[in-house]
Amino acid sequence: MRLPATPALAGVLLGACLLSAGCATPQLAALSSQLPATTPERSELTAVPFYPQEDYQCGPAALATTLVYAGVATSPEELMPQVFLPAREGSLQVEMLAAARRHGRTAYRLAPRLADLLQEVAAGTPAIVLQNLAFGFAPLWHYAVVVGYDLPREEIILRSGRTRRLVMPLATFERTWARSEHWAMMALPPERLPVTATENRYVESVVALERVAPGAARRAYQAALERWPDNLPARIGHGNAAYALRDLAGAEAAYREATRRHPGAADAWNNLAQALLELRRRDEALAAARRAVDIGGPRLAQYQATLQAVSESR
Amino acid sequence: MNTFNRCIARALIVCTLGLSLPVPSLAGIVTTDQITAGAERAQVRSFLDRDDVRIRLQEFGVDPAAARARVDALSGDEVAALVGQIDQLPAGGTDLLTVLLIVFIVLLITDILGLTHIFPFTKPMR
Repeated sequence: MRLPATPALAGVLLGACLLSAGCATPQLAALSSQLPATTPERSELTAVPFYPQEDYQCGPAALATTLVYAGVATSPEELMPQVFLPAREGSLQVEMLAAARRHGRTAYRLAPRLADLLQEVAAGTPAIVLQNLAFGFAPLWHYAVVVGYDLPREEIILRSGRTRRLVMPLATFERTWARSEHWAMMALPPERLPVTATENRYVESVVALERVAPGAARRAYQAALERWPDNLPARIGHGNAAYALRDLAGAEAAYREATRRHPGAADAWNNLAQALLELRRRDEALAAARRAVDIGGPRLAQYQATLQAVSESR
Repeated sequence: MNTFNRCIARALIVCTLGLSLPVPSLAGIVTTDQITAGAERAQVRSFLDRDDVRIRLQEFGVDPAAARARVDALSGDEVAALVGQIDQLPAGGTDLLTVLLIVFIVLLITDILGLTHIFPFTKPMR
C-alpha cells in the first residue's frame, strides 16, 4: 500500500501548497540586496526572556517577552486581562499595540519587510510577529517573538509557544508571516528610535502613546524631534504632552518653538493661546488666539472658541 | 447585549451628548490625535465607535472595567479599524498542541485511507 500512495500524498501536499498561494518567498530572495552591507551575518538576542505559553495565550506571552526585555516589570498573567479576548481564544493586533503603550512603551509597527525585521533584531530589539501557521482558508494565528537570525543558514530564531529557541527556515517563516500581511511590532523604551523608523510611522506611534502615557510620549517626541526637527505634529504633540502633565511652562516653550518653525500653523497658535491663558498672561494669549483665528482652517470654530475664552478672562 | 439594546444605547448616548456638551466645550488645545487624524472625524462619531468596541469586548468575555481601559488605550484610527470587525480580524492565539493534534488526525486519516503508513497501529481500508 505504501508505494502507490506516495504520488497521491505528493499531490495532496502540492495542492495544499498551491491553495495557500504562498510558495514564493520574494522577500527572502531579495534580502541580500535590501540589507545594508553593515548588517551582521548572524545575530541573536540571547538575553530575551522566555515565557512558555499556556493554552491559546501566545499574545500575552509574546507581549511579556518584549515588554520585560524593554524594562517593564510584568508577566503574561498580568497582561492577560489587557489583551486576551476569551470568546475568540486569542488577542487582536491593535490590542497588542495598545497594551504595550499602557506600559509606557512606544508600540511601533514595522514596515512589512523582512529586511527591516532582521535589521531591528541586529540593532538589539526583539519583534513580535503574527504568523498564520496553517492556510488562508483555515487560519491558525500565532504570535511569536523574533530574537535572532542566521543568514548563511537562512534561519530565523524565535521564542514561540512552548519552545524557548525555535529555529525555523527563513523561507517557512516568510510564508507563515506573509499571511498576516507581514505584521510585526516592537515595544520600545520611549527614548529609543527604531533603526528602520520612518517619520510618519514613528510620529503616529507616539501620538497613540500620548493618549495613555503622556510622560513617556514627551520623551518619545523629544527623540523624534532630534531626528526630524521640522515635524509639526511631533512639535505640537511635545507641547500637548507637557500640557497633559500640567507643565504649562514646558507646554508654552514647545508651542512657541512650533510657531517659530511653522508660523502658519494655526493649531500651534491656538494651543499657545490656551497655555498662556492658563498661565494668566492674558495679553500674550489674546495675540496668539487672534493669530490662530486669522490663519483659520478646518478647526476655525475651535480657535474662535479659544479667542472668546481668552477675551472673557481677566 | 443584542442589536436592539445597542441601538437604544446609541440613541441614549446621542441624546445625552446633546444635553451635556454645549458648543463652548470646543475651546482649549487641539489634540495631537485631531492633527494627525487627517480628515476631521466628528467627535460624536468617535465617541460612539469607542462605545461600540467596548460593548463588543464585553460580549467577547472581557469584564466591564477592563474593557473600558482597553478601549481607552486605542487610538482613534485603531477604534475605527475595529468597529464592526472584531469577529473577523485575526486573533493570534494558536495553541501549538492544537496544531500537533490536527497534524496527527490528518495523518491518521491518510493512514486509514491507505495514503500513508505512519502509525504502526492503523490498518488501511481495503
